Amino acid sequence: MDSNNVQNLDTVGNEKQYIVVRLGSEQYGIDIQYVDNIVRKQRITRVPKAQHYFKGVINLRGEVIPVMSLRLKFDLEPDEYTNATRIIIIKLEQHSAIGIIVDEIKEVVTLSEDAIDKPTSADSSGDSRIQYLSGVGKQESGLISLLNIANVINDKEAVS
Amino acid sequence: MDVSQYLEIFIDETKEHLQTLSDQLMILEQEPENMDTINEIFRAAHSLKGMAGTMGYKRMQRLTHDMENVFQEIRSGNMKVQPELVDVLFRGLDALEGYLANILESADEGTEENQDIINTLNEIVEKGTGKAGQAAQETPKQEEAAPAGGALYESITISDYEINTFEKAKEQNLNILGITVYLEESCLLKAARAFLVFKALEELGEVMKAVPDVQDIEDEKFDMNFSLVYFTKESPEKIKAAIENVSEIKEAVVGEFKLPENGAEKTEEKAAQEEEKKEEKPAKQASATAVKSEPKKDTAKKTEKKNAKPAVGRTVRVDIEKLDVLMNLVSELIIAKNGLVSISSSAQNTRNDNSFNEQIEYLESVTTNLHESVMKVRMVPIESVVNRFPRMIRDLSKKLDKKMELHMSGEDTELDRTVIDEIGDPLQHLLRNSADHGLESNEERLALGKSEVGNIWLNAYQDGNNVNIEVRDDGAGINIEKVKNKALEKGTITPEQAEVMTDKEIIDLLFQPSFSTAEKITDVSGRGVGLDVVKTKIEGLGGNIECRSVVGEGSSFIIHLPLTLAIIQALMVELGNEKYAIPLGSIQTIEDVAVSDIKYVQTKEVINLRGTVIPLIRLDQILDVESSLEDPESLTVVIVKKGDKQAGLVVDNLIGQQEVVIKSIGSYINCSKIISGATILGDGEIALILEVNTLV
Repeated sequence: MDSNNVQNLDTVGNEKQYIVVRLGSEQYGIDIQYVDNIVRKQRITRVPKAQHYFKGVINLRGEVIPVMSLRLKFDLEPDEYTNATRIIIIKLEQHSAIGIIVDEIKEVVTLSEDAIDKPTSADSSGDSRIQYLSGVGKQESGLISLLNIANVINDKEAVS
Repeated sequence: MDVSQYLEIFIDETKEHLQTLSDQLMILEQEPENMDTINEIFRAAHSLKGMAGTMGYKRMQRLTHDMENVFQEIRSGNMKVQPELVDVLFRGLDALEGYLANILESADEGTEENQDIINTLNEIVEKGTGKAGQAAQETPKQEEAAPAGGALYESITISDYEINTFEKAKEQNLNILGITVYLEESCLLKAARAFLVFKALEELGEVMKAVPDVQDIEDEKFDMNFSLVYFTKESPEKIKAAIENVSEIKEAVVGEFKLPENGAEKTEEKAAQEEEKKEEKPAKQASATAVKSEPKKDTAKKTEKKNAKPAVGRTVRVDIEKLDVLMNLVSELIIAKNGLVSISSSAQNTRNDNSFNEQIEYLESVTTNLHESVMKVRMVPIESVVNRFPRMIRDLSKKLDKKMELHMSGEDTELDRTVIDEIGDPLQHLLRNSADHGLESNEERLALGKSEVGNIWLNAYQDGNNVNIEVRDDGAGINIEKVKNKALEKGTITPEQAEVMTDKEIIDLLFQPSFSTAEKITDVSGRGVGLDVVKTKIEGLGGNIECRSVVGEGSSFIIHLPLTLAIIQALMVELGNEKYAIPLGSIQTIEDVAVSDIKYVQTKEVINLRGTVIPLIRLDQILDVESSLEDPESLTVVIVKKGDKQAGLVVDNLIGQQEVVIKSIGSYINCSKIISGATILGDGEIALILEVNTLV
């Protein structure tokens, strides 16, 4: 829809840029157009009674921004904070900013349309994570699970 | 013509006029003979008509025109005000509001003709005056309109230099015409009309000279007329027709312009004379002969009159978004200031000298004042919300066939703009509730020995950092038993619970969502229906609502609202190693309570504080914090209140009072409403603000 139009204008030959991040041993790709900012891990203020995957809020230059842990969201082991840990600030149109914690930022890749496999349709519902993916990108360095950011941050089902 | 740039002004002014109409009609209903009111209504209707016409809203213009007619008849004593007339006028008012709503949405008035209102109006005029309505429409207007003045252009003076152009024009066989254009007195956008006239004229010839000059005309610095000298090949008749084609032009006087014989002599007096022209009114005879001494006296009088007009309040309309930006900047400044304060107070600091502290104190007072001023700019009197209620109560009174009166006080109480925008609906709901269910019918009231006319009060007043709005009636009060039975019936409470509940707790049930069911929403309202919506809305604004009721004497709903939403005074407290802010507005006292003083009521911890039993809330348990204190002998308890309810919040440590800027934590995190927001402390750390209303 809207975002598609923008992409058609901005990118040549249906290519998209993704930021590749690491979570444990897996690689995920985040469409670069939603990335507002990348900051180092900083002090996170816990918010009581929040959903378990929300680590709390951070102060980003005077703005209070909620931060979620992708690991907890994807039911992986809890985060271990290292020097490589980063918070990616995502800004989706019409939504306020939100931060997601990743283990490491690896690189920015450009993927063309034919290097992306669409996820097999919803019938493979065995894995609840499938709804968070928009496809799988093929790269020499391996496969990258491309995140469907809108679904990741607007998860109604998880609201307790 | 493109009038879209005037749309905003039109909407604002229309709203004002509609409000005047509504207010005055209310008065008129009480005092049908009040001439001031009638005149006021006439003026408002007249202005509305003119404005609607200018903007091209024909239907709106037509309706106001007919409303105006009625008042013209009343003004001239041809008919009297009757109750049914007021009803129709109110309907007309609603219709106008409907047009305005359409215009607001789409810049178009819509297609509703409201023919029935117009017909009824005309019928009333016909009946009242015995004349045909149509005839009555036009005649008084004609009389009122001052007879058009003469050909003012004849007194235009021409300089030597200009005479040359005249001669050239003559050589080219052009007609030299003098034109005086009279605008209709109702015309509001005079400059725009004049512009249209000029545009029309420029297509047919050349405007040589204008009095007042073109710049002044563009700036609307002229009365209802202006004069021109004009060269054209066309006939005077054609020019006249072209000018009069422009709407709201009353008349155009077009004639041959004769060159003064001795131009040089006139030039000397030119300056003085032009001055006069600007002031001259069409009604006055600045006649063909232009006797100079007479109009001069006249001018002096006119000027005086003009100066006597009350100066319009010096205000600027500012986009609320711009204010928000300003507000944000002030917030940032306060955060920065808090940062400095925390540096200066930290012990390790080496620059802890006196002058540094002095400057910080100075900065503190400046930021506080700045904050207050910016907040004040955002404050709007509550009047703009409540002034529609008298009308609503009047309609309800007719509809429900109950006599009632609305008493309002404190309309000048000011609230933040964002609160004002939201508070209208809840108030309306409460008033409807009072009118429909609170007040008894006329007969019942008489039987109970009360006065026949029911009373509803709407009082607003400031109380510290809060604004309270009270909606009270002297009706039957809330029937506790009935509410209890209904709650039992619905399964909201169990019979055991019902046994031990106090009256107050039962009344609070009315605010429970389960009490409102969709099928119960009647035309007016149902008791309990939607009260939860009212409550939710008010809590969304950071306020709360309580209800008091005495059977047989009436009930009152009291809304407490915070004065501002963006920056508050808060008490900073510590729990474990986390910091939280508690809004100062809801704190009553802070107490040290010995652990041995804690009593248990139904396995809940309470304390007895000077005769009042107050439940304790262990914040560390609610917020899942590990308390840093182990088996303390005494607890620090912050006593907070929510309406009449009190509770003691147990905290580990008090940090102190601080001005905090409220920031939203966004909608992603769902924390069961116990956190109302966050604030950034001086050292950049975030503290969460506790929502006392949910905790208590």
